[in-house]
Amino acid sequence: MDEILLKIDGLKKNFGSLQVLNGISTDIRRGEVVVMIGPSGSGKSTFLRCMNLLETPDSGSIWFDGVEIVKADEKTKNRVRSEMGMVFQHFNLFPHLSILDNITLAPKLVRGMDKATAEAKAMELLGRVGLADKARSYPQQLSGGQKQRVAIVRSLAMEPKVMLFDEPTSALDPEMVGEVLDVMKELAANKMTMVVVTHEMRFARDVASRVLFLEGGRIAEEGTSEQVFGAPKSERLKLFLGKL
Amino acid sequence: MQSFIDDFNLCFVKNGRWEYLLNGLGVTLEVALAAIVLGLAIGFLVAVIRSTHDKFGRFPVLDLIAKAYLAVIRGTPMVVQLLITYYIILRSVDSKILIAILAFGINSGAYQAEIIRAGIVSIDPGQMEAARALGLSYWRSMLRIILPQAVRNVLPALGNEFIVLMKDTSIVGYIALIDLAKGGDIIRSQTYSVYLPYLTVAGIYLVLVLTFTALLGRLERHLRSTGADPVHNNS
Repeated sequence: MDEILLKIDGLKKNFGSLQVLNGISTDIRRGEVVVMIGPSGSGKSTFLRCMNLLETPDSGSIWFDGVEIVKADEKTKNRVRSEMGMVFQHFNLFPHLSILDNITLAPKLVRGMDKATAEAKAMELLGRVGLADKARSYPQQLSGGQKQRVAIVRSLAMEPKVMLFDEPTSALDPEMVGEVLDVMKELAANKMTMVVVTHEMRFARDVASRVLFLEGGRIAEEGTSEQVFGAPKSERLKLFLGKL
Repeated sequence: MQSFIDDFNLCFVKNGRWEYLLNGLGVTLEVALAAIVLGLAIGFLVAVIRSTHDKFGRFPVLDLIAKAYLAVIRGTPMVVQLLITYYIILRSVDSKILIAILAFGINSGAYQAEIIRAGIVSIDPGQMEAARALGLSYWRSMLRIILPQAVRNVLPALGNEFIVLMKDTSIVGYIALIDLAKGGDIIRSQTYSVYLPYLTVAGIYLVLVLTFTALLGRLERHLRSTGADPVHNNS
C-alpha cells in the first residue's frame, strides 16, 4: 500500500479576480495529522475544500489513493467524497433527521448498509463520544459541542480514509471546545489520517505531525510542530505566531 | 319561517335538486385535489430545474422553458387559460373533468414552483455541502436533505396556494362543467330563488377551506414537533 494517501500538485483557485490558491503542492501520508494555520483569507479552508472537491480547483491535480480526482467523472467524485470525512465549522447536521438518522443516512444510502447494521455501528460510535443517550434526539436539542461530536461520528460512520476538519471549534462556546478537541485527539491517537484547519494552537502543537503555514494562497512555511512553533524561520510566521 | 321552509323545499328537495350540489361538490373536490397533485409534481420539477440552473448554470434549455412557462401561466388569467385549453389545445378530448384538472394543475404548478424554489434557496448551503461530503449525489442530496426542509419552510405558503386553487375551480362553469358553484347557479336558474342557493354554496366552500386549513395546521405542527425550528437551522 502506498504510503501517500493524498498527493496534491500545483493547486490553483480563483474566486473572480481574487487568487485564493496560488499553486499549492504537498503530500499527505497515511496516519499523518496535518494542521493548517495562517491568517484569515490565506486559503486554508479553500485548500481543504478542494481536497474533497467541494470546491473545484482551476488547475492542478489531486491524487487520492493513487487516483486523480480533479478531472474524474461525477460517480468517482461521489465515491471519493464518501471515503473522506469532513467536519464543518457550523456542524451542518440535518435538522429534520434524528441524531441516529443523521449518522445512518449515508451508510444506508451510499454504502447500501442494512438498517440494523448501520444503527448498531452508529450506536457504538455515539457511545465512544459519550452521546449514546442522544440517538433519538434532534440536532436542535443539542449543544454546539454535542452537535460537533455527532458531526464527527456521522463522518466516521462512513469509515473514511481521511478526516478533514474545517475550523471545527471556531463556532463553539469556549467551554465546549475541549470536548471536541478530545475526540479529535483520540482519533489522532488511533492513527486516523487527519487534515485540520484550526486556530487552536495548543492542539496544533500537541497533536500535529506536520504544520503548514499558509499565506497568500501558498504554503509559506512547513515543518514539525517543534520546528514551526519552536523555531519559525520566516518573519511572516513569527509575526503571525506573535499576534496570537 | 314558513316562507323559508318553502324556499328550502323548492331549492333543495323538489326534483332532487340537492343532487346538483352534491354532484357539484364531487366535481369540485376531484378537480381541486387532482390539480393540487399535478401542480405539486410540476412545481417540484420546475423548482429544482430553476434552482439548479441558478446555482450551477446547468440545464440552460430546460431553465429557459421553465421561465417561459412561468411567464405565460402567471401572465394570463386562469379563465382564459381554461378556455384555451378547452377550445384549442385539448378540443379533441371528451372528458371535461380531465381538461379542468390539466388546466388547473398546469396553472397551479407555476405558483407552486416559485413557492418551492423559495424554500430551496432558503436552506443553508452547508446542508448540501454536508450531504455531498458524505458521498451523496446531487440529486439524492436534493431529495433527502434539501427538499424535505424546503417544503417544511414553505408549507404555509403552499397551503395558501391550495386554498386559492380550490376556490378558483369555481370558474369551470365556463366550459360547462357542473361543479359546486355551477350547481348552485343551476338551482337559481330553475327556481328564481337567489339567496338560498348562493349562500349555501358559499357556506360549503367555507367549510371546505376551513377543514383544509385545519388539516394543514396539524401537518405543520407535526413537522415542527420533530426537528429544528426551520428558520434557525444552524445545525
